[in-house]
Amino acid sequence: MPSSQRLTATLLPLTLISWVVLLVSTLLRASQPETASLSAPPEWVILVAQAVFAAGVFMYYRLQPDPLRGTDFVGLFRRLVLGPGILASICVALHLLERFVQYQLPSSDRTFFAVIYTINLGLFILFLASTTYTWRSLVLFRSSGRLRREWEFFEILLGGTLLFRLLGWELPTPVSLLVIGGLAIFGVYLSGNQKWVAYLNRRQKWEVVFMQLAILLCMTIFVAYFVRIQYDPKLIAPESQHAFLLLTVFFAAFYAVMGLFVTFFNLPTAGVFEQKREEILSLQRLTQLIQRGQTEEDVYSMLFDATVQTVEADAAWLDVEASDEMYKGQRYHITEEQCTAIRGLLADYNLGHIEYLNNDLPNSSGFRSLGLPFGSLIVMPLRSTKRQYGALYMLKNQPQGFDRENLGILQTFTSQTILSIENLQLVAASIQNERVQEELKIASTVQESLIPKDLPIDNWFEISSHAMAAKEVGGDFYDFLHLPGQRLAILIGDVSGKGITAAFHMAQMKGIFHALMQENPLARNEREKFPVPSKFMAMANKALVHCLEKSSFITASLYIIDYENRGFVFARAGHCHTLYYHSIKEEVSYFRTAGLGLGIIRHDAYEKHIKNQFYDYNPGDVMVIYTDGIVEARGANKEEYGEDRLQQMLERTYYLEADEIKNMILEDLAEFSRGQPMHDDQTLLVIKFRASQPEPIV
Amino acid sequence: MKITQQTTAHTLTLSLDGELDASSSVILDTELTKPEILNYQKVLIDCQRLNYISSAGLGVFISHLQRFQDANVKLVFFNMQEKVHNVFEILGLDTLMTIVPSESEATAI
Repeated sequence: MPSSQRLTATLLPLTLISWVVLLVSTLLRASQPETASLSAPPEWVILVAQAVFAAGVFMYYRLQPDPLRGTDFVGLFRRLVLGPGILASICVALHLLERFVQYQLPSSDRTFFAVIYTINLGLFILFLASTTYTWRSLVLFRSSGRLRREWEFFEILLGGTLLFRLLGWELPTPVSLLVIGGLAIFGVYLSGNQKWVAYLNRRQKWEVVFMQLAILLCMTIFVAYFVRIQYDPKLIAPESQHAFLLLTVFFAAFYAVMGLFVTFFNLPTAGVFEQKREEILSLQRLTQLIQRGQTEEDVYSMLFDATVQTVEADAAWLDVEASDEMYKGQRYHITEEQCTAIRGLLADYNLGHIEYLNNDLPNSSGFRSLGLPFGSLIVMPLRSTKRQYGALYMLKNQPQGFDRENLGILQTFTSQTILSIENLQLVAASIQNERVQEELKIASTVQESLIPKDLPIDNWFEISSHAMAAKEVGGDFYDFLHLPGQRLAILIGDVSGKGITAAFHMAQMKGIFHALMQENPLARNEREKFPVPSKFMAMANKALVHCLEKSSFITASLYIIDYENRGFVFARAGHCHTLYYHSIKEEVSYFRTAGLGLGIIRHDAYEKHIKNQFYDYNPGDVMVIYTDGIVEARGANKEEYGEDRLQQMLERTYYLEADEIKNMILEDLAEFSRGQPMHDDQTLLVIKFRASQPEPIV
Repeated sequence: MKITQQTTAHTLTLSLDGELDASSSVILDTELTKPEILNYQKVLIDCQRLNYISSAGLGVFISHLQRFQDANVKLVFFNMQEKVHNVFEILGLDTLMTIVPSESEATAI
């Protein structure tokens, strides 16, 4: 605050000047009889100088920042003792010097005496001011606004007493007694605020007791000095500010004495406070350990050490029920045999896994028979709502060793520990999860490579494809294979379910496709060199029987297109119907053929459920093959995209190129399912047969 | 998905209400896995309120098909909605499973 800084800046010179004025006028008065050249200053000058000095010093200390830093009470006291302690020593030294001088040169030199007196008075006021404002920090430590207002009122009243002597008010004795007594009672009332003592530990309390004694000693030295010289004939100064100084001394001393007693009588309870503090610190340490991501073992040993220390157990052990971990718990001042014996006894009484406190073990016949030296036992299970993690056993030699509070502490500790253990497990789980995600990503890349990148190119057809998985890996697949004699095999399919399992079966299906579509060298004629689609499906079904789980199945369609014969043959194994544009009839329709999915029946009877369909195509015909992710895509009102809408799309786009037809369908689909989650893989292939190209001249 | 049961001497009727997807098919699977289900001569599935069936739902029926056949328990679907029937048909299940239009026909089998 700049205003208070300015005030401080003016206070210092003012105080110094008033002290110099005080010194000079006292000296003038002292040397009056010898030198009459200068007239003695009137008494009021001295009184005003005294009052201004006292007020200045007190104001200066008042404006200093709060000397208390945090809860460093010992530091506060140390600074207070060192400052005024030195002042008191100077006072004593000056007094002794004066006595010495008087003894060596017996004279009635008042000048020297007056100088010493004035210096000591200044020191005393400094000491009082610094003590008073240190006490203010302590009184107002974590105080309410009301107490702050009361303190300010007290300051104003004290300041008011300065005017008593200054204005020469001669109050009748009972009135002045009443006023001074009232203020003293106010000071006593304020001295009741000793909240800070509770924040000290045992060692600090001892330190503070000694420092309070030191402060009282300093005060005694000053008071003794002033009392001693009060009736000295050489004292020519007028009586100092009695009411003000008396009240301040009284308050400073009373607060110190009160504080001394409060601290002293709080010494026995310091242990309890320290125990509580230790508990909180242990709890804090436990919490910090977790945040540093330590192992479960660390957390358990931390709990064990903290509890043994806090409840002051004579022996203890910890059982941890871990399924796979090496750590099984630990022991303290007890052998494994003894643990086993106590565990067995508790199990007999069915007490092994509940919270249990027995303070009178010697009276239990079962325990007596074990012949162990323990008198008290606590069993504290470590459990969360989900599972039991183990149990903590604390033992003490004497009976009645534990109380309800110990039980409470153990509860807090164990629940904190369980929390951290579960946190650690969560972290481990999330790391595991991350690894799975990483592996899924790899699986996704591998699967990507299984989908043909280069579409077959020839001058008699156009082909365009689209594939998108709903999750990282999917169950949709398609593949192409060029067969000799300008023939093309196209496979499309869908594995039931999604995710990794589906992806595995999809890879398997691709393997089966490439294995079965090999030229058979034993074939008797051209037709038998490659399996017809229905035969392929029957063989694939047989191959899948061994690896497909019971509730899984695969739908697939295999097309073999023959350019030379201008026709194709296909078989549908439970897969979506083929959408077709017939250019001759100028009509779009589905090939609605029968056919059972793969893996549904797992014996030779499957062959009866699959048929071949032959068709002679014409240039300009369009074939749309897809998976159910397309027709079952959901719109805003949960409606499915459906075969009809797909058919209508082809009716509108059949004349375009394959690529454009695919894009138009996908755009329409995206429009339809805008804002809806994709819940199944989507695959779409568009094949357009071209008008025959002129044969190159051979 | 809600499944309600109704039993007579030799017949168990399961009424499916809602969507049979990956999560709800687990409930159905638990029902069909119960060993005592093989004591009935017929298990009727009322599909009137079945709005949707996913491949996981189909998988449940497929996985129990052989077991029911071996135990000589007839599995009959009735009251099936058009779009659900379409799913059965595309997969070719209509040739393997008995699907009839009404409950009276189902009980008559």
